[in-house]
Amino acid sequence: MMIKKADQESILKLLNNLKNDYNIAAPVLLKKGKKEIVEYVFIDDLNDIYLDRQPDSSPKNIVFPQNSAIGKDYSGDKLYDPEKKTILWGVRSCDIEAIKTIDQVFIEDEMYTDQSYKANRDKTIIVGLSCEEREKNCFCDALGFNPIESDYAPIYLFIKEDQYYIKIKEKEYESLFSSLFDGDQTELNELLKLREKDFNSSEFEIDIPIPLPEKDIFEAEIWDEMSEKCLSCGVCTYYCPTCYCFNFFWDGNDHDSTRYKNWDSCMFTTYSAHASGHNPRDSKDKRYRNRIMHKFSYHPFNYEGLGCVGCGRCISRCPVNLDIREALKLTEKYLQTKGGAKKDG
Amino acid sequence: MVKTNMLPQKAEIVDIKQETETNLNIKTFRYKFLDDQFREKFSFKPGQFMMVTVYGVGEAPFGFASSPTEKDYIEFSVKKVGLVTEALHNLKIGDKIGLRGPFGNGFPVESIQNKNIIFIGGGIGLAPLRSLINYVLDQQNRSKYKNIQLLNAFRSPEDTLYCYDYKWWENTENTKVKYTIDEPCEGWSKCVGYPHNLIDEELDWELPDTKFFTCGPPVMIKFVTDRLKNLGIKPADIITTLEMRMSCGVGKCGRCNIGHYYVCKDGPVFTLEQLVEMPDEY
Repeated sequence: MMIKKADQESILKLLNNLKNDYNIAAPVLLKKGKKEIVEYVFIDDLNDIYLDRQPDSSPKNIVFPQNSAIGKDYSGDKLYDPEKKTILWGVRSCDIEAIKTIDQVFIEDEMYTDQSYKANRDKTIIVGLSCEEREKNCFCDALGFNPIESDYAPIYLFIKEDQYYIKIKEKEYESLFSSLFDGDQTELNELLKLREKDFNSSEFEIDIPIPLPEKDIFEAEIWDEMSEKCLSCGVCTYYCPTCYCFNFFWDGNDHDSTRYKNWDSCMFTTYSAHASGHNPRDSKDKRYRNRIMHKFSYHPFNYEGLGCVGCGRCISRCPVNLDIREALKLTEKYLQTKGGAKKDG
Repeated sequence: MVKTNMLPQKAEIVDIKQETETNLNIKTFRYKFLDDQFREKFSFKPGQFMMVTVYGVGEAPFGFASSPTEKDYIEFSVKKVGLVTEALHNLKIGDKIGLRGPFGNGFPVESIQNKNIIFIGGGIGLAPLRSLINYVLDQQNRSKYKNIQLLNAFRSPEDTLYCYDYKWWENTENTKVKYTIDEPCEGWSKCVGYPHNLIDEELDWELPDTKFFTCGPPVMIKFVTDRLKNLGIKPADIITTLEMRMSCGVGKCGRCNIGHYYVCKDGPVFTLEQLVEMPDEY
């Protein structure tokens, strides 16, 4: 492990040099109409980097683009190998854990590896960013994640005012930062201790068995109440850093058609509709149940870990104020009134 | 671990059979991979499926209707119901399509050896069963299995499928084939009625050495499996295959799940024992 220390100016200088060989993706403050929002984009001007708060959208669009051409169907030519490596700068713990979740599904699955996703991920270097304080709706620590630092990023930034401490955990990335001064491990440890102490704990606490018992919770009469307000707009899934459902789309003609992989949403009404008209999830309570169950029951059952990282974006973004924390509380209450939570195999 | 780039292999339509008479809405397509090397290496199990791409239109899953003992081609029966199936129906012999797969678990061809086998198929639900029927009735395989019975159900005489197979099915040793339609019809001398009502009368079996395979419209699967269970057949011996909307075929895109199972990779073949443990959402 290597520790480096630098001020803002040296960091910008370093990134400016790295820009020759790498794409840099980072959160940027964008003006959209009257609103200011922070999103991850591939940047030209490094002064645009904005790390002051949790970005409104996750870096999912960098590792798993909303719309990407994967190949030519008729000729079989693939279209997904990125030329340059990408440095994904300033990613918070929740979003790093979310990338880990998607990696589990698309890369580390025992049965199938998604080559287009893997090609992209192989060329992405995640640089983490330690959180200084809790944002309005986030609750990653209530789910067992650490907002100060996630193990899944090989490089991590700890910013205190104008000072950057950079922790480089993997040897292969040390050379990227060789132009910076060495940092002091003890100094960084002090900072981390202080940060851990000062980080106000979550008001939201939850005690449910993971994975949620599948049949029991599926049949619980709680889903109507939870989803009553839902508009099936799907915005929660688009902002969700772990939602990875996709669909294929085509353009072109019968001799030259391009296959695109696009984000899809299990909250859309026709998402699982058959051509015959039959739809296994034909009402919003069933769709909402599937989303919550996928995150807290199905995904934990099929892979390790959770399908939700507690970033709180679905809460901030929902037009009718649906709150995933309330869904978890209702589930917890249901299990308690049923006479204690039982683990499900 | 299989690496998938989700892009299809090119194949040619080498034959098209019009199955149903007046409805004209079911055709059986015979495909042949263009790449010789790929074709020689290609293998699959009855009960598995392929994603079929109509170039420039889209892609949909279809269960194999032919047996893997046929080395030169693969067959799929397609009912015209949506965008991709309609585009397929408009294609002609010589046209090219794309194929990805095979996907799914397939029928348990090994563990049913030395057993009696009963097939109960309804309408186009007979397609995936035909892959297994032709496999177990194949000369090379027939001796590995005991008595085989088929109960093929169709809406009317005009909705029958695979008429060209009936003769050789019926003429294979230790094999009984029954046919039924929903309503009585002039000139029809075989069974009449829904298949679940005919199980007691028309089929006979010894327990525990009989395996039951059924596929058809969801409501038929439900009635048939209920009836079989009530007749004392173990849920583990009742085997069916499910249909769901799918995009990727490898358990990633998210739409075909029933609880934590993905029909595309954990299925599409399930025993009734598994189905009763799954959430009721299919």
